[in-house]
Amino acid sequence: MVSLEQSRDCRIQKGKSVGMQETPSEQLTQALIKVATHADKKAYAYLFSYFAPKIKRFGIKQFGSEAMAMELVQDTMTSVWRKAKLYHHDKGAATTWVYTIMRNASFDALRKIKSNREDNLSEDIWPLFHDEQVCEKSFKDHLQSNQLQEKIRNLPAPQRDVVVGVYFEDMTQEQLAQHLDIPVGTVKSRLRLALKKLKVELGEHHD
Amino acid sequence: MIKYHPSKQLMQKHILGELPAGLSVAISAHIELCDQCGKEFDMLEAKQASSVFSESVENDNHCEFEAMMESITEMSMFDDLVPQSPEFFEYQDKQVQLPRAIAALKLGSFINAGKVSRARFELEEGPLRSSLLHIKPGGEIPEHTHTGFELTLLLDGTFEDESGEYVPGDFIMLDGRHNHTPKTKDGCLCFTLVDNALHFNKGLSKLLNPIGKLIY
Repeated sequence: MVSLEQSRDCRIQKGKSVGMQETPSEQLTQALIKVATHADKKAYAYLFSYFAPKIKRFGIKQFGSEAMAMELVQDTMTSVWRKAKLYHHDKGAATTWVYTIMRNASFDALRKIKSNREDNLSEDIWPLFHDEQVCEKSFKDHLQSNQLQEKIRNLPAPQRDVVVGVYFEDMTQEQLAQHLDIPVGTVKSRLRLALKKLKVELGEHHD
Repeated sequence: MIKYHPSKQLMQKHILGELPAGLSVAISAHIELCDQCGKEFDMLEAKQASSVFSESVENDNHCEFEAMMESITEMSMFDDLVPQSPEFFEYQDKQVQLPRAIAALKLGSFINAGKVSRARFELEEGPLRSSLLHIKPGGEIPEHTHTGFELTLLLDGTFEDESGEYVPGDFIMLDGRHNHTPKTKDGCLCFTLVDNALHFNKGLSKLLNPIGKLIY
């Protein structure tokens, strides 16, 4: 490597890892630069032997499963190889870059378990590249605007009247009962029916 | 100037990836709007990375790792970056650039109640509900407390409550101890996260309690 780059990098490392002498930050960063610039397999082997066992230990802590921990090693180290060209050493140490990739892969895997969602949000929450991304976004159908008022208008008239009275004209249920000349119990039951219907129509499963 | 920031503990948990998605989305969006927190995040993440990778670990998987490494280096590397294209959100005849983490989420349909419109983000996090909320000029949410917590990240415009005025980027975390009556003079757009229904305190707005969960 060019010596100028090395000394510059060294300065950054010192600033980033005070009190963590055991981490060979500078060597790791140099190795990652070699992978980035020359697809250097020997440098990658060094990174792999350094990081893989540590990622595995992290994975076992996260998932409590050796198989999932090995999957995390596979995912993280694959990204380290495939995305290496996108690493800029002036934006941070190799340890930070690998940590970001590992934490992100682990977050996506946990989300898949907990919420059964494979939306891989991590890369947008913790971007590897601040102003750029590696692949195209799919088109999102953001703004179909369903109106609550329209849904209310489509309710059966008796239900619509109580909803409008209570929620848009600020009447109490008692006032409304008098106004419509019906028992309060009927106001309540119509309101309950109407809310139930609105919830179904507005898709409460999103909640 | 932004006055309200995520707490140190939240930031640390965010770095560890231990928060629910909705909360990490909000912190990430705040970081995009707040240089100060951006710097702090970079510093803390580098520190966390160093510490995770500093302890030595015995490698008991030599063969398996060897095979994995070989198969990985057979793969081709990515060369290209495409610029991140900003996503805009249109409301009240304005275009607002959405922070990247928020733009990435899938948004449901808007429902309107008076001056307030909201749409849920489809995050499927049980009782935690993340929403995009916009309020028309002069709009107000009746005084309420929170049975759990309520996070508001102001994205555009301003609003005020009993504690003062808020500007875009402000990260406002409230819990059951606070009641407030937010109102907006010129309209505003917010990302909100609540973990339970709001509880309305006063007079007629109490009637909103059964429907509060649906709207806010």
